[in-house]
This record gives sequence, structure tokens and C-alpha cells, in this order.
Amino acid sequence: MPRLDMLQLTIKVGERGLGRNPRYEINGFDLEFDAIEGGCGPNETLKLVGKPKRFPRSMTLTGPDEGCWDIKEIIATYHVATADFNANDSGPYTLRLGAVTLDAETKLNLWYERPPPLLEV
Amino acid sequence: MATWFAKQVSPTAEIRSAVPPGLAQTEASSAPQTMRRTIYAPILPVQTAAATDRGIRITAQLLPYRKIALVVDRPLLSGISYWCTSQTEAARCSPLASALFAGGGVESILLHETNVTVTLDGTGEESRDTAAQRFGETIRQHLESGRAAMTDAFLAGLPGEEQIRASLQAVIDAEVNPSIAGHSGQITLTAVKGNTAYIKMGGGCQGCASSGLTLRIGVEQAFRAAVPMLGALLDETDHSAGDNPYFTNPAPGSRA
Repeated sequence: MPRLDMLQLTIKVGERGLGRNPRYEINGFDLEFDAIEGGCGPNETLKLVGKPKRFPRSMTLTGPDEGCWDIKEIIATYHVATADFNANDSGPYTLRLGAVTLDAETKLNLWYERPPPLLEV
Repeated sequence: MATWFAKQVSPTAEIRSAVPPGLAQTEASSAPQTMRRTIYAPILPVQTAAATDRGIRITAQLLPYRKIALVVDRPLLSGISYWCTSQTEAARCSPLASALFAGGGVESILLHETNVTVTLDGTGEESRDTAAQRFGETIRQHLESGRAAMTDAFLAGLPGEEQIRASLQAVIDAEVNPSIAGHSGQITLTAVKGNTAYIKMGGGCQGCASSGLTLRIGVEQAFRAAVPMLGALLDETDHSAGDNPYFTNPAPGSRA
């Protein structure tokens, strides 16, 4: 199980923004981001950095307390540390998540293990 | 005893004060906590530098169980799919599959739309990266040659969709569903397109940690015995929505 040292998120907000600072959860614990750049208003771009230094079994982006939050796209970069010394398993990895809408009853899954390597052959 | 128990199970102020710095204590303690439902966004392909100088773009992913999934930037087959396990059979049915078998070390090949899935037999000494490069080059050479992926003899011998549907439904009714009923599971044949079958797994199979094994070892083998020219078998089940899985998957959202 890898330890997540740092999480970088670039969120492209859609038509409906978020009225407060974004938060996330790891293993059910509510966390604030360590750095926030940009805005979370409609059609703005938000850059977030979290440094949880934890071993996630689950990680989610918390939805708004009321109303809806439209997200066009999220680029998530995971900086992880692993206990083994497999060279293929080191360094950060990045995922692109597509459009989704969060509301007061939902949270967005953010935890994905390192995907299989993609080769140009 | 009662005091000790209350401290262990109640969200008291003492427990809240032990939350590490950095947690959103203020909002967590003042706002009423609601159980939020976890939802999933679609995963989009990450942009990588395309091999523009090679014309045809082919990407490969190294998957578990000795599988290599190759994706070509153009269709290989249209409306049908093809699965085979031997060089002899491939030579009769598909020049592309035959060429992929020719290098050795291959257990099975699945051709479906723009995808080629090669399962290695584990006897080869080359690394999977090298094998993926070899398969990519073979596919590229085949496409550049302009030859068809399948032979006319194979296409002429394909059974109709209705015939395939009837045969698979008979297997489901007589073999598959009675076998998995003990785990409260059920398989539904949702569609047959060309010679590709789509199924859904329900009851105890939906969300079960062993559903992948049930599909590959049980259902797929029974289907292929009944319909030898069956191509791809695709599971359309939303396993994250299962409400009564027989074995619970320890990793929510992971694919069987």
C-alpha cells in the first residue's frame, strides 16, 4: 500500500461553482488543502495541493454543503512513496477525470492506484 | 464499565480534541454530519506524445495475468470480434492473429474493434515490454500491407446473431444459472452484436470479489464450448452498485 505524500489537483469548474474552500477526506478524515490557487467560481480554474502523508484506503473530494458544483475536468497528480524498490513503481503519476456534478449528498472518489504503464509500441 | 464504554464509542469532546492538526475541526464539529455517497468520474486518457513518425499509433498496457492490451488508432474489425487459442486455427481464420501467433509465446488472442488483447503463455524469455513492442510492430505491418484481418472463410461460416443468442441462452438456463444460484447469483444475456456477447451479472455476483473468476473460468468456458465462433464476451455490470455481493470486494470501485 503506497503512502500518499502529496496530491496536486487542477480543477476546471463548470457552470456552477463552489461557495467555500474545497475539502477532501482520507479514510473518512476531513482535511483542508495545504495550498489553494485560483478560484472555484463558475468557469474558473482551481489549483490545489494537499500533503496528507497518509496511506489512503479511500480518498474523496467533498461536495458542496448546498446546491451543486459542476466540474468539467480534474487533473490529479499523485506523489507516492512505496516500501519496495521496484523502479517501475516510483515517481508521481497523473490521471484525468472527466465531467461530474457534486451536491450535498455526494463526494467524488479521488483515490486510484498507479495505472498500468502505457507504452507507445 | 459504562463510563469506559461511553468513552470508546461516543464522539465526545475528548476524542475530537485528539484529531491531528490540519483537520477541518471547526466545520466537522459544528455542521451536522451527513452520510455522503461516493460517486466516480470517468477516467480520461492522459495525453502522451504520439508516435507521429510511425504513422499508425498503437499503445499497449501491461495487465495482470500475462495479458497485454493493445489499442490501435483505427478499427481492425467492424461488427464482429475474434478469439482464438492456436496458430492452426488462426491460420485458417485470421491473417492478423496468425502473424501475432507466429512469434511464439502466445496463449490466446482477442480482436475486437480497435483492440487486440494478447495473453502470453508464460514460456517466452522476453520481457512483456519487448513482447508488446513486437506485437505492435506486427499489427503495424499487417495494417500497412492492406490485408483484411479475417479470412472470407471465417466470415462465411459465422452463425447469425439469433442463433448465437439462442445457444448462449440455453447454456445460461441449463448450466450457468443453476450453478451460481447457490451464491444467489444470476447471469443475464443483454445483447448479441455480430458474434460479440454482452452479459450482466446480478444478485450475489454483482459486486462480488470473485465475479471476474466466475466470468472467465465458468461462464466464458461454457459459452465457448457451446458457440466456438463466439468473439468477445463483455461484462456490462456496474459492480460498484451491487447491494448483496456474495464475497465483498475489499477495494470499493476496483474492477473484477
